Amino acid sequence: MIRIAFVGKGGAGKSTIAGTFARLLARRGEPVLALDSDPMPGMPYSLGVAVDDHPIPEDVVVAGSEGQPRWVLRPGLDASEMIARYAAQCPDSVRYLQFGNLWGPVVRLQQAQFAWSQVVAELDAEQWHLVGDLPGGTRQAMFGWAKYADTVCLVVEPTVKSLHTATRLVKLTQAEWGPSRLVVIVNKAQDHADVDRVSKRLAVEPAAVVPHDPVVAQADRQGAAPLDASPAGAFAQSVEALVEQVTALYSRHSHP
Amino acid sequence: MKIAVVGKGGAGKTTTSAVLARSLGQRGLPVVALDCDTNPNLGLSLGVGDNETEHLLTLREMLDTGEAEHAPSFGEILERYGTDAPDNVRLAVITRIENPEPG
Repeated sequence: MIRIAFVGKGGAGKSTIAGTFARLLARRGEPVLALDSDPMPGMPYSLGVAVDDHPIPEDVVVAGSEGQPRWVLRPGLDASEMIARYAAQCPDSVRYLQFGNLWGPVVRLQQAQFAWSQVVAELDAEQWHLVGDLPGGTRQAMFGWAKYADTVCLVVEPTVKSLHTATRLVKLTQAEWGPSRLVVIVNKAQDHADVDRVSKRLAVEPAAVVPHDPVVAQADRQGAAPLDASPAGAFAQSVEALVEQVTALYSRHSHP
Repeated sequence: MKIAVVGKGGAGKTTTSAVLARSLGQRGLPVVALDCDTNPNLGLSLGVGDNETEHLLTLREMLDTGEAEHAPSFGEILERYGTDAPDNVRLAVITRIENPEPG
């Protein structure tokens, strides 16, 4: 099963590409769980679900007893039950689990964090393809929030700042817990020089290139999923190419 | 004045901060540009270049290595660990996460 996480600089297009990737993979008849660890989640837009938080009630966690983590899922509640109850139903049958600011009298970030890590650690990786979206920058990525993924997709805009961030993020593969594969997707490319800029700086051939697409910019202004705004447009085609590439990586892996 | 620039990733925080800092500096005001992002890029927008942006010692590192045992003043810290950007702006970086954490 595919376990991929999308990283990159803020605004590079992680959520837009990750959500579209999840839906296109699901259209192949595959079970897909979209995992969003961004506390300011952007994935609902590209998945095509309501933008409101998909809250997890605060009573899902209880204080851990001796020898347990500080907060644990309450007895009787496990990862598959969490998904069944709290993962949103999205178009193309994608399920979407948000990091989940736990909602109660106050937002309990720490409890949400423990609940999240327990769900991710315990979920049945044979049952789901996992498509994860991280917040922009290096913090969560470097602290192991994408450990569930064996493939990391680095989303890069051909700008100096996005590339600078990307050179930091390629170091993820050096961690002993790091992903075994890193694929690069160039986003908002205006010409061939843009693609060269990325492949030279990172010394990696991009797995896919998303051309600058005004349709995506327009969809962003209207809050529409790019895949719905333009089902066969340049953006959808490029992400489909990424799905194809990544799927091929996995089939080569399991059938050598 | 003390100004913090905030917003979503990619909205233009770093670019705005840099233009603001240099514009104030051009008016002859003494300006400190503080990069508080754990993925610091402000040096790029100020125009100090890739290498300087990447290798500027952070204030966090300075404290962690105990280099500043006599707790120098803010001015001394800026002098020792900051770098000069164009238009009389002095840049300092608080912290940078550049390598994956072990385990």
